[in-house]
Formats: sequence, structure tokens, C-alpha cells
Amino acid sequence: MPPGARATSLPATDAARPQGRSALVGRSGAPRFYLTNEFGLLVLILGFGAIFGLATPGFLSAFNQFNLGRTAAINAMIGFSMMTVIVTGGLNLAVGAIGVCSAMAMGWLIQGLGLPWPVAILGGVGLGAALGLVNGWMVVRSGLHSFIITLATMSIFFGVMVFLTRAQSFRGLPPVFAEFGRMKLLGWVSPLLLVAVAAALGLILLYRFTALGREMLAAGARPEAATLSGIQVGRVFVLCHMLSGAIAAVTALLVVARTGAAIPSMAGQLGQDWLLPAFLGPVLGGTLLSGGRVSVIGTFLGSVLVTMLANGLLLLKIGEFWVQSCLGLLLLAAVLLDKGRRSFLASRKIAG
Amino acid sequence: MSPFARALRTDWFGPLLVTILAVILVSAFDPSFLAPFNIQVLLLAVAVNALIAFSQMIIIAIGQMNLAVGAIGGLAAISFAGAMQVWGLPPLLAAIMGLGIGLLAGALNGLFIAWTGISAFVITLASLSIFKGINLGITKAEPFYGVPQSVKAFGATTVLGPIPWIAVPALVVAVLLWFLLSRLPLGRFILALGGNAHAAELSGISVSRTTIAAHAISGGLAALAGLMLVARLQIGQPTIGDDWLILSFAAPVIGGAVLSGGHVSVAATVLGTVIVAIITQALVLFRIDPFFVQVVLGVLILWAVGLNRWKDTRLAGTPKGAMS
Amino acid sequence: MTGAALEARGVSKGFPGVQALKDVSLGLAKGSIHALLGENGAGKSTLIKIVTGVHRPDSGELLLDGAPVGFASPRDAIAARIGTVHQERNLIPRFSVGENIMLEQLGSRALRPIDYGRVNTEAKRWLASLDLDLDLDMPVSRLSVAQMQMVEIAKALALRSRVLLLDEPTASLTPHETVALFRLLRKLKDEGVSMLFVSHKLEEVQEICDAVTVLRDGRNACESRAMAGLGRQDLVRLMIGRAEQIPDWQARDVSAAPVALELKDVSTSLGHRGIDLTLRKGEILGLYGLVGAGRTELAKSIIGLYPATGGTIEVNRVPVTIGNVSEAIRTHRIGYVSEDRKGEGLVLMHSVLENAGMTLWRRLTSRLGLLTDAAVRSRTEPFIRKLEVRTPSLHQTVGNLSGGNQQKISVAKWLAEGVDILIVDEPTVGIDIKTKAYLHELLRDLSAAGTAVLLITSDMPEMITLADRVVVMNAYRIQGDLPNTRDYDAMSHAIMDLIHRAEAA
Repeated sequence: MPPGARATSLPATDAARPQGRSALVGRSGAPRFYLTNEFGLLVLILGFGAIFGLATPGFLSAFNQFNLGRTAAINAMIGFSMMTVIVTGGLNLAVGAIGVCSAMAMGWLIQGLGLPWPVAILGGVGLGAALGLVNGWMVVRSGLHSFIITLATMSIFFGVMVFLTRAQSFRGLPPVFAEFGRMKLLGWVSPLLLVAVAAALGLILLYRFTALGREMLAAGARPEAATLSGIQVGRVFVLCHMLSGAIAAVTALLVVARTGAAIPSMAGQLGQDWLLPAFLGPVLGGTLLSGGRVSVIGTFLGSVLVTMLANGLLLLKIGEFWVQSCLGLLLLAAVLLDKGRRSFLASRKIAG
Repeated sequence: MSPFARALRTDWFGPLLVTILAVILVSAFDPSFLAPFNIQVLLLAVAVNALIAFSQMIIIAIGQMNLAVGAIGGLAAISFAGAMQVWGLPPLLAAIMGLGIGLLAGALNGLFIAWTGISAFVITLASLSIFKGINLGITKAEPFYGVPQSVKAFGATTVLGPIPWIAVPALVVAVLLWFLLSRLPLGRFILALGGNAHAAELSGISVSRTTIAAHAISGGLAALAGLMLVARLQIGQPTIGDDWLILSFAAPVIGGAVLSGGHVSVAATVLGTVIVAIITQALVLFRIDPFFVQVVLGVLILWAVGLNRWKDTRLAGTPKGAMS
Repeated sequence: MTGAALEARGVSKGFPGVQALKDVSLGLAKGSIHALLGENGAGKSTLIKIVTGVHRPDSGELLLDGAPVGFASPRDAIAARIGTVHQERNLIPRFSVGENIMLEQLGSRALRPIDYGRVNTEAKRWLASLDLDLDLDMPVSRLSVAQMQMVEIAKALALRSRVLLLDEPTASLTPHETVALFRLLRKLKDEGVSMLFVSHKLEEVQEICDAVTVLRDGRNACESRAMAGLGRQDLVRLMIGRAEQIPDWQARDVSAAPVALELKDVSTSLGHRGIDLTLRKGEILGLYGLVGAGRTELAKSIIGLYPATGGTIEVNRVPVTIGNVSEAIRTHRIGYVSEDRKGEGLVLMHSVLENAGMTLWRRLTSRLGLLTDAAVRSRTEPFIRKLEVRTPSLHQTVGNLSGGNQQKISVAKWLAEGVDILIVDEPTVGIDIKTKAYLHELLRDLSAAGTAVLLITSDMPEMITLADRVVVMNAYRIQGDLPNTRDYDAMSHAIMDLIHRAEAA
């Protein structure tokens, strides 16, 4: 009997769901919303928001919310920049260095070459993507882990930038940047936040509704399987790094808008100041460091939570230096909690 | 196999050749490079950087990474300086305290990694932030200036000719590490864990104990490097350790360390720091922008990992031993 | 039972959702070789993990020389002198032969210097006792697979193991090496070592083992029966619960059918030389060989993963160069079902739908550049249904499905893609008998409908059931080409003969 002849005898899909776990599982087989990471983050954000709102007078002020929004937008973008490479199971230590290089390049295009600012922005983002291309190409060609490659390029990119700019800032940028940074919509919403939301929507579209995005996830989860299914894994990985570079560049432009100038130290020595926010967002948001699974919304919410905690702790007069320790503890707590949540779901055979 | 071919296979041969070549080249362009003072400066840099490199090397040996070397070193350094200035502890006691903090911080890293099974990258990124925050919280980003004269003297004087006192602990550590990794069960377990963790576990080696031990050693070495820097800089700078990350990877990698673990070389790592120091100093001698050092370090890392990779694939390509 | 070196009594072990072992017993007599048989998933590996201290039993007990023991960790089992020779090599690649053999005994104190003189003398003694002549200072990464296995055995003996577990020890050995291994095992047996031998190769089990325990669905199908008097069919019946049903398909003569794929004097960077191969439309060509013969590598080079370095490859009589897998699939309509389902065939952490549609994404993208689940679903669902994949939903994570259902999805992917040439590599390893029979039927039907199927398998009965023609490969060369007479004994004899002859040459 040919297999086809039996095709109707056994329903293969939704109807045949085994009993006993429906309480925790939604229709699609994914865990119910209240068990997801995103929901947990939302609860934490609202909870901490309420605590800070009650404990400090300044927290809910329009001025503080505006500032919080701007910083959250920048942190979320830094997180996205890292997330797009974490998808491949790798990481990009050079996000900060690429960002600074792009911002400085833009500053130079405007101040040094006198190009109009839209062209300069394109140039900056283009450089970010190009530096990402360099990273991606080297990672793919060498077969080495991106950690060591981007550790080296972080140093190289930053060093060349300082060498070329003589460590001088570009402070004569057109007023549009500072105006964009100062703009308040509806009294407290910064347009920076809108940029981050737009980026989030774009990334959701990419990962959920395009072939390229799905290829990125498949290649990141199991490069061997993706290769044998005809996905050009090397090319896809290079694109992930380029995307990361471009997002880092946009992020740096947002920072320029906030400060009104392109400054070589805007991301600290070698751009290392971006590393913690870069990992906090994705890790809190439930992105797998081994690749293949992302949560764009989770990364966004994670970054918002981190920014809010830092802001709230400062308002509580914890002392700005201790805030860094608190964020480290938060990262530790987050990975532990996530591990617990996953093993809870795994014990019930639900994909977390 | 001829002695030459055997030497070619070792890790130290390439770096040694590069070192000799670099010395010849640089001194040909600028004979003052070999002046005793210059050699002393070189050795000072090598001594501290070798400790930093060892701190990372021992973690590379188990196939992990430690982003917190700088933060641990910095925390130990300011504790050392702070204990002497604020509490008036004698230097020796303060040093023991600083080293203890480093050992403890490293052991905590190892404990968390072994207990949770979460990647060392994330754990040490978190602890980097925690340790650095504690450092800044204690110091308010202000240095401790009250370093006793004896410590300052230790950092500024020489034992013999151009050899500074600071080089002595580094030398002792190098010998001890070599002995650990080649002669002591713990060292062999560390390398076995990095070489094949599964096999090591099935051979009765305790993975968690070995991981914790390696991280504790790493923390202790980072702390020692921090103390040496306090002596050398003559103040307890809160920024000590901020720029160690790249430095800590460069030397072991130039020394042929395999990043996936199981293979490191103490001698070649020392040569790696020597190469880095020579190049740094050459840039100063030739009045090249000091920021260019960063570029050179990055290129060196890329070059070294590329070379290691090439050596590895080439060696793997050699015919296997004859079948029985 | 008296005289048992190792005994398991009524051992049960459950995992979330699965009862892996139910009341299983086994008695390993002193100085004997005892076979542990069972299909994949029957509970063999769980039992081994209990004996080696990786898992603890929920109930039942373990006795060593009649005394009950409880292992909390692998170290306890080692201390109790139970040695294991694992399927995957458990050696430290950069350590020397001597150090690997003595790894457990480098020192009880972590900081007491190792006496390498003693280590090497003892390691040498163990190698000598096995009549092995290996360089003690050679890093094990430079040994052959067979040599590494010998080192593992020496390592187990160095612990003075009285019980030795051998987990698929011959899987990657050539016939010659297997003979040498068996000679060694007999010698050990004469010296009083008791061995538990796990293997899929029934011929070998019959040759070397004195007694046999068979597990089926986590229970004893038989417990410690003497091997003498049991035939191959008896063992199979014990393993699967009924007689092996071999469909009485006849080999088809397709010599008139058009050639789909032809390799002429192909060589590759992996070491293949002078490969000639003709695959016709509507036939199943069996490519037989031992593990490591270069069959998987040849398949991967056909699909462009390791492009050929010499000779010509023709698809439908047109010479082609296939530079990457994407080209093989889209331009030449060739698909490859990997032997390594979990590593290469599927993305375990992704859903059924994602996996089944992976090759189609580019083509199902709309003009706006968007790809929807609905589009993927409409193309793949018919095939997922046709293959009767049992899954609660198309969004279920593939890693949570059974091995058989996973394999169905990795095949469904290629049905949805609709390739003309399908290379299947060990398609039924580790899956249940029912799914296996189903997949056999499916492959037969696919070829009847005109697909050219290249079947790579080390499972001799599978080869003889399915293949229309058999090509034998050894050491990266084609050794010969046989028509399938469907006579099991004659065929297996002829095939092994070809391999032996190749090795002797």
C-alpha cells in the first residue's frame, strides 16, 4: 500500500494534542502569555515604576520620563545591535567601537567635507555596515569564534578612529541634531524612542516575515542543518554582522543627537561602556546566547527595565557608582531566573 | 624528527624568533633601545603584563574566558592601597588582603559558572560590573595617595642591573605556573578539562572543583598584577584594570593558546608579552601616536589567531600514525 | 545468582514523561562476555548509565560480586573498578598515550607533583599486557581510531577494572581491526575480566558473546540467556517482539531508465579517488560501506559541500559543477537527508513548520518580500500529514518529538521541495521498527514514482530489502558493484568479501 493511500487515516496536527499540559500551553504550542519572559519583564517594569514613583518625587515628572525615554531608546538600540549577532551564536564586542567610528565619520563628513547632514548620516550608517562586514567576513573566513575577532577589531577600529581624529570632537554639527535630541512629543516622548520602536518593528518584520530573517535564525541555531537545506550560512552571518554594524551606527547618531556633538569618548575606552547594556537587554529579554532564538520585544523591554532601574536608583540617591554593581547583580539574577523558568518549562516539555 | 623540526612545532619557537627579530630591528633603527634604562622600562611592562596574561591564560586553559580580570585586579589594587591609607595596615598584611580578595572574587566567578552552567562570558560580564561598581563605590573614583614608602620603593628600584623588583614576583609566578601545568595533578586536570570536558568528567575529574580552582588562580593572579601596578604607579588608581581585557588575551594568543581550551604555554605567553612590550616601546621611541598601540594589539591578536588556526589545520592534515 | 561479577536486580528508572527501565535484571558472569541488545530507545543506554554511576535507579539494586552498591557519580563507579570504553572517544587529545592511560591515577592530591616515571612505567606495563606497541609520548590526537580504542581499553585496565563496559566498540573499526579487538577481548576474558558488550551488529555478538540480555521497551525481553543455540532470527525476535518482516520486494531492473546522476572518475579534496557511479531514475542504489568508508563524505561532495576536485559529475546527462548546496537543491534538484538527524538534519529548537519549510522560504516569499506562516503551511502541511507525523501542532518544537517523527520531518522537507534525486544517509538509525518499515515503503514508492534514490546504509538487512543494486565503498574508493539477489547470506558474504579484499590489497 502506498503511503499516500493512508494519508487521511491519521490527523496529524492540532487535534491530536496530548492531554495534560493545556493549562500552560496556548493554541500554537508556545507557553501561555503569562509564562513568557516578556510578560515577566512587563510586570517588573510596572512594579518598579510604581515603587520608584511612590518613593521619589522626581521619577514620574515629565522631565525625568523624557530623559528616561531617551536613555532607554539608546540602550534598546545598543541591545538590538548585539542581538542581531547573538542570533548567529556569536557576539560583537565591537558594537561600541563601530558606533563611535560611525558618529565620528559623520561628524567629519559634515565639518571636514561640508556635506549636507542627510548625506553624512548615510555615510555614517554605511561605515557602520562596512565595519560589520569586515567583522563578519573575518569570522566566516577564519572559522574562529567572533569573540576573539571582534575583540581585536574593537581595538583596531577604535585605535584608527582616535589616530585619524587626533581624539578631537566634532562640535560644530548642524542644529538639527540637538533639536532632534531635545524635541518632546506630547510633552515627554522623545523622538529617539520612536526611532527605537521603529527599529524594533523592523526587526520583528525581519525575523517573523522574511526569508532572510528566518534564514538568520536557522543558520544561528544549527549552521550544519541550515547549510544542508541550501541556506548560504556564511553570507547570512556576514549580513547579521552588517546589520549589527548599521544599528550600532544609528545608535551612535542618537547619542550625538542627545549630546549635540560627536565625541570620541562617547562610549568610553574602546567603546567598552556599551558592552553591559548590549548584553543586558538581550539576555534579560530571553535571547539565547547560543543563537537561533531572539525576542525583539523582550530585548526592548529588558533595556527599558535596566534604564529604569538605573534611573530610579540614582533618584534614590544610591550613588551613581553603586548603580553599576546593581546592574551586574541584575544580570546575574536575570540569568538565574531565566534558567529556573526554562527548567520549569522543560520539565513540562514546553519550549521556553 | 630533526631538532629543528621539533623546535618548529613548539609554541615558543615562533614568538622567540619574532622577539629576536624585533629586538634586532628596533635597536638597528635606534640603538638607545638597548640602553639599561629602556630595558628596565621594558621589563616593568613585561612583568605586570605577564601577570595579567597569566590570569587570562589559566581560564583559556579550561576553555573559558574571564572578562573580569581587570575589574578584579582593580578592586584588589584599591583595597591594597586603601587598607594601607585608611586603616594603616602594614603593606604585607594589606597585600595578603588584596590577594585574598582576588582569590575570593575569582572563586566566586568559578562557583557561579560551575553551579549554574551558564557561560563564563555572561557570569564574568556581570561580575566585572559588580566588582568595578564596588571599586568606584569605595573610591568615589578618587585615587588613594597614601601608599607607604616601602611599597613605592619596591615599585621603583631594581634588584640587579636593569631588573626591577617588580619582575621578581612575575618570574616566581611563571615558574610556579609552569610547574602547576606540567607536573601537578591540578594543572593536568585543568588542561584535561579544557581538552575534553566530557572525558575529564568520566575519568573521575571533578569539573566543578577544577573550574573553581582555575578561576580562583585567575583572580589571585589578577590581584597580584593590581598590587604590582600600585607599587609601580605609586598610587592606588581606581582605573587600574580598565584596559586589561585586550592585553590579557593578546599575549596568550600570541603564545599559541587554543581558545577552545586544553593547550596553553607559559613560556610562549611570556614571550607574547615581551613582543607586545617591544612593539609598544618602539612606537614610543619612533614617536608614533600612543593610541596606535591599540591598533597594533588588535592586529597582533588577529595575526596570532590566524596563525594558530593555520598551524592547527596543517598539523591535523598530517598523516595519522600507521595502523596497528 | 552466584559467580556474577555484576548483577542488576529489578532496576527501574523513569524520566519526566518516559519510563526508561521497568524491573530490568541482568547477571554478568565472571570471566564472560555478555551481550546487551535492544533497539534504540529500548533502555540500553539508561542501563549503562546506571551501571557507570551517571544515573541512579529509582528502584532495584546493583550488586558487585554479590554485594549491593550505590553509585552517586561516575567517580564511584570507577572506584568500584567498573571501566567503560565509550562510543565517543573519551581521551584528552593533546595528552600523551601514557598520561591518558593513567589519567585517573595522576594523583590523589591535587598539589602533589606527578611522578611521570611511575606513570610511564605503569602505562607501558598495561600496553604490554595487551600486546600493544604504541609510543607512550605520542599525543593521542595523532592515533588512528582503532589505536585510540586500544588506549581506552588500556586505560580501563589500568584501573584494574574487573568489569568492562564496551559500548559499540566496533562501530568505526575495519574488519581487520575488529578481528584484532576480538582477539584482545578473548585474552582479557581468559584473564578473568567480565565484559558487557553493546552492539548493533548481531553477527559480532554471536561470534564473541557467551550470554545475552535483550531489552525491549524498557523491560527484559530475555535475561542472561546462553548465546549458544540462539540464531540471528531469535535475537531479532527478542529485540522487536516478532519475526523480522522483510517485504518481498524484488530488485527492479532499471537499466533502461534514463540516468539521473553520473559520477565519472571523480576525486575530492577529502580523499576520494576514481569514483564512478551511475544512478538512474526510479531506482534505489545502495551505497554500502563501514563507518568511515567515505560514503557520507561522497554525498556531501555531490551536493556541493566539498566540491569535487577532479572528474565529471553529470546530472541528466549534462556535465555540471555544483559549487554549493543551494545550487544542488535549486538548480539540480538534489536533496540530502543527513545521517545526523539532530546535528545536521533538523534545527531541533525550531518548530515543525520552520523545519519542514526551510528549503522553500526563498520561493514562498511574496512580491512584497514577505513570507507568511500561511504560505509555508500550505506548501508543507500536506506532506507532514502524508508522512503521518505525530505532533500536537505544527508549532511544536521538533526537539520534543520522538526520533521517528523527527526523521519523518527531515524527509518531509525534501518531499515538499520535490527533488528529483534524493540521497538518504542511514535513514532509519535510532528509530522504531514501525517507522522504519514505513520509511522503507516511502522510499520504495518515491523511486517507483521516478525519483532517483541513493541509499547510504550500514544496515545490511535494510540494504538488501531496499536496494535494486549495491555499490560497495571502502577507504574512499568504490570496490565493486553487485546486483541485489535478495539472498541475505550470499549478499552479505559477497559484500564483506569485497571489503576484505580491498583491505588486503
